[in-house]
Amino acid sequence: MSYFTRAVIELILLGLLSGIAGTLIVLRRRSFFAVALSHATFPGGVVFAVAGYNLLIGQALFAVLLVLIMTLLARVPGQGRQVASGVVLSFGFALGALLASLNSGLGVPVEALLVGSPLSVTDSDLAAAAAVLLLTLVVAVAAGRRILFHTFDPVGFEAAGFRSWPVELAVTGIIAASVVVAMPAVGAVLGVAVLIGPAAAARVLAPRVQWIPPLAASLGVAAGLAGLWASRAFDIAAGGSIGLAMSAVYVLALLLRRIADAIRPLSPPQPSL
Amino acid sequence: MDFGLLDAFSLPFMARALGTVAVLAVAAGIVGIGISFRELEFVSDGLVHAVFPGLVIGAAVGGTAGLLPGAVVAALAAAVLFTVLGAEDSGRDAAIAVVLTGLFSLGVVLVSRQQGYVSQLQELLFGRLLTVTELQLWQIVAVSLIAVTLMALTLRAQLFRAFDPAGFEAAGFGPRRTDLALISSIALLTVAGVQALGVLMVVALLTVPMAVSRLVSRRFSLLIPIAILVPLLAGSLGLWLAFDWSVGTGATVSAGAVVVLVLLAIYGIAVLGGGAARAVRGVRGRLGRPGGIGRRGPSTARRAG
Repeated sequence: MSYFTRAVIELILLGLLSGIAGTLIVLRRRSFFAVALSHATFPGGVVFAVAGYNLLIGQALFAVLLVLIMTLLARVPGQGRQVASGVVLSFGFALGALLASLNSGLGVPVEALLVGSPLSVTDSDLAAAAAVLLLTLVVAVAAGRRILFHTFDPVGFEAAGFRSWPVELAVTGIIAASVVVAMPAVGAVLGVAVLIGPAAAARVLAPRVQWIPPLAASLGVAAGLAGLWASRAFDIAAGGSIGLAMSAVYVLALLLRRIADAIRPLSPPQPSL
Repeated sequence: MDFGLLDAFSLPFMARALGTVAVLAVAAGIVGIGISFRELEFVSDGLVHAVFPGLVIGAAVGGTAGLLPGAVVAALAAAVLFTVLGAEDSGRDAAIAVVLTGLFSLGVVLVSRQQGYVSQLQELLFGRLLTVTELQLWQIVAVSLIAVTLMALTLRAQLFRAFDPAGFEAAGFGPRRTDLALISSIALLTVAGVQALGVLMVVALLTVPMAVSRLVSRRFSLLIPIAILVPLLAGSLGLWLAFDWSVGTGATVSAGAVVVLVLLAIYGIAVLGGGAARAVRGVRGRLGRPGGIGRRGPSTARRAG
């Protein structure tokens, strides 16, 4: 496989992943969590780059550690809800920056860790992304209705006799795993762009909640490939180009929605989301 | 330990770094109260990323002298954008994430068109606390002063809005204007901090000092003084540690990163200390509940007054 084919496959996998993981992040309002998590995997990548091991494993281990820290900090009373994410985010970058500065001679790929390099994706990165996608699909098929119920009515969910923690655990696991496998392509800063952008756009456009995942997946694949093409055509950083494409999709979706809303009063009222 | 505290800070570049940290500490302590009580940590992170393309464009147009104007323009534009986004509540956090990554991507794309891409990117992302020039220090003072003034002038309205949004609107205040003032103030503080700490670490300065303060103190009047003292302590200790470490081992140590890590260590101590104190006091149901966070502020304020 050429490096370009690998990049295309990786972006298709991530686009599809955005259909489920991205939808969960958007509907459950976990964006700051996802952003903090993706930023904070940076030191894990630096440590494993210095040690010469697979970067993705280091980032995954660090993601698990940071989810634990965040869960514990969220239980500390007397602070805002977003403080835990803010703390973990600062911690990740500061530790990563310190480690990178201490090992500046060792060729730590700081830039690739931060903004990604889709064209240097390896076969094991592809396998990891495919595995996470498969696992996510299994969870979605098995527990999708239950997760949806909990997302929209957590109180009703508990009153109906279900327990919340398995859902929370499954959702957090899916988000963390998706963020980690997105790292090789788009890096610690833009990692969430491929997950959140398409899903946020789909949420704006979809007439019913069931349409969000397929719509997000198609938008994700389309925007990812468009970004890759633009990076080649205009000779710009691929990670940045893909991130920009994802945001462009969202902005276009908002515009479309505005136009549709402006036209709608002429037609009979329709039930909306 | 080869150098004492005073020896280290008598070197001009260390003194400038300490001055920078002190100015930022004061500004962060005052502006932080708005961030903390309005739960704007995520918006702050968004502003930080939004400043990045401004820095890149500024540097491309005017070199080092262009950094500040570029950052100010980008920050104020982003402040307006986030104020508008904040108005529609549904899907707000996803919108912030998309804007944040989109603007950051724009910065990356712009940098990647230039020479010396990697080194320039790292400099903007991690800052250079030890090479802050005299001119930059004065710029930081000026921008911080504007941010603090903006916050101080609207402080009463900000607190009213934070604790009683319905009452605030009923009393005839405009929430949009107050929000814009607050977010602009955060944006300017970001601009002040970004040259020293870099795009990625300045968010610690915006969010951590007030988080520590709220953990340590239950008196409203002490929140700002503590939030100023904490980064001041972390800054001087961190700078000294980084200096001593660099001199001792001959390694390049990112001073900004050490300062942020010391700041986070203080936060960690505050969390553990707070937990121990609560265990000693015996858990008083209302305070011990994680869900009751937002409601605590006003009652604390009333007790203090």
